[in-house]
Amino acid sequence: MEGLVIWLIVTFVKILVILGIVLGVGAYLTLVERKVAAHIQRRPGPMVVGWHGLLQPLADGLKLLTKEDLFPRYGNRFLYNLALVLALVPATLVFAVIPFGPEFEVFGVKVKPILTDVNIGLLLVFALGSMAVFAIALAGWASNSKYALIGSMRKAGIVISYEVVITFAAMGPLILAGTLSTYHIVQSQIEQGLWYVWLQPIAFVVYMFAMLAETGRVPFDIQEAEAELVTGFTVEYGGMKFGLFPLVEWYIEVLSLSAIAVVLFLGGWSPINIPFLGFVDPLFFLGPLSPFIWFILKVSLLFLFVLWLHWTLPRYRIDQITETAWKVMLPLTLLNILLTAILAPILWR
Amino acid sequence: MVKRVFEKPLSWIERIIFLDFIRGLSITIRQAFRKTITTHYPYEKLTPPKRFRGFFGHKVVDGKEPQPAFDEWVERFKIKVEHGKSRCVVCMLCKRACPVPQLFEIEGEKLPDGRRRVSVFNMNMMLCTFCGFCVDACPVDCLFQSDIHETASYTRKDSVLDLEVLERIGRDWQRRREEEPDRIWIDDHQRQRLWHENHLQLPEVKQ
Repeated sequence: MEGLVIWLIVTFVKILVILGIVLGVGAYLTLVERKVAAHIQRRPGPMVVGWHGLLQPLADGLKLLTKEDLFPRYGNRFLYNLALVLALVPATLVFAVIPFGPEFEVFGVKVKPILTDVNIGLLLVFALGSMAVFAIALAGWASNSKYALIGSMRKAGIVISYEVVITFAAMGPLILAGTLSTYHIVQSQIEQGLWYVWLQPIAFVVYMFAMLAETGRVPFDIQEAEAELVTGFTVEYGGMKFGLFPLVEWYIEVLSLSAIAVVLFLGGWSPINIPFLGFVDPLFFLGPLSPFIWFILKVSLLFLFVLWLHWTLPRYRIDQITETAWKVMLPLTLLNILLTAILAPILWR
Repeated sequence: MVKRVFEKPLSWIERIIFLDFIRGLSITIRQAFRKTITTHYPYEKLTPPKRFRGFFGHKVVDGKEPQPAFDEWVERFKIKVEHGKSRCVVCMLCKRACPVPQLFEIEGEKLPDGRRRVSVFNMNMMLCTFCGFCVDACPVDCLFQSDIHETASYTRKDSVLDLEVLERIGRDWQRRREEEPDRIWIDDHQRQRLWHENHLQLPEVKQ
């Protein structure tokens, strides 16, 4: 009985912390993105609201919340609102299986900083990732607008192609770790003293590209395509409903997929790795906090890299994108899996 | 001679290491850490070049009129010349040159001593295209375009420039920039001067 109460309290606290981090950070990443984009274009970005625009996300949120809630004529109101839920919930739910650090003890209670350490964690991630297609397709369909429908069709096509690729790309580290649980993947990387990115560079590159495509980032932002499609499937949404889609797509999903990339390829919360020799921790003075800092550092560096790519590259055409997915990336990942599956049992363990 | 404009296609090794991506990324990261080059507009304002085509003004009589044209026109129309007042000789050439002539409302009046002068000169800026034909047409270098570019107003009435406002702009211009040599934009270091030195508050907002 007492164990159950403690478990409930711990889980509740974990949920609060994760939701707070995800949604709060998600909102503030808009400011980060605007600042990075601005400086790449040699502008200062938001400067007026607060010190260097630090309160800008709050101002934007207030503005979006007080705007009129428009609804397109002959649209389907139920699906229109359902799309929002379907976009936000799976994207946030992915954080349930992301391990933020090693197991630690507070007040005599052992806590794993992961909401649910299910043994099929990675499968859950990709299942939830595929749910995003429904949100996009429904949003485009329910809006009763040509632009929205074209945008959602494009996005659905890309997500379906790249969902295949990203799953196969993740298969390589999975074979090496021999488990689907995200926590244990990191554990095995630490035990083997090796980030899987050293053994799976192809899978890592393909994963990064697929991540850009899934989250609608440049060079795969074909569903948004400001110049052609206004803003794709979000065009008929207004106010905070409009704000939610980019928030989910550009920030929460990028964050969750970066975290998964860190878990799969960059050794989760482990410090800097020298292949086959061990780990070097320049942050040792932080003591038990250091793994968490490492995890956050890696995720934010990956996120900044995505931003950097976004504001550098031009956009690909839709046929080039799908062609790359099916004709280049998929064979590469399959080859990678094949080699890993043949070589891993021979050379590994 | 054939000039080849295409770049050499990337070799396989360059494709594998994403050479074109790396080139682009290195450019953007270099730009990202340089100083920004923007002007914070409502707080800092740049002075436009002298030949900027902004709001109109009437230059006033100050002894620097183009001669002999000014004296000839004054002679022909028997204009009363007053120091510090508009140079306008009511020749209507600006209205003739204008693509939207309705925007001008020009009237002269006859004074008791038999001389004439301009009494009404309204320009409706709602209709103006800022083409500058009227400025070219003006024979006495009276009508001109100033560097005043903040032309928003709360009512349509405020966008009509009357004679008094035009003269005010003209006096301000002659004080500030009449002596300045004409430059093109890129070598204009006057551009770096900020805008606040003009004394005008235009257009006046009536509540």
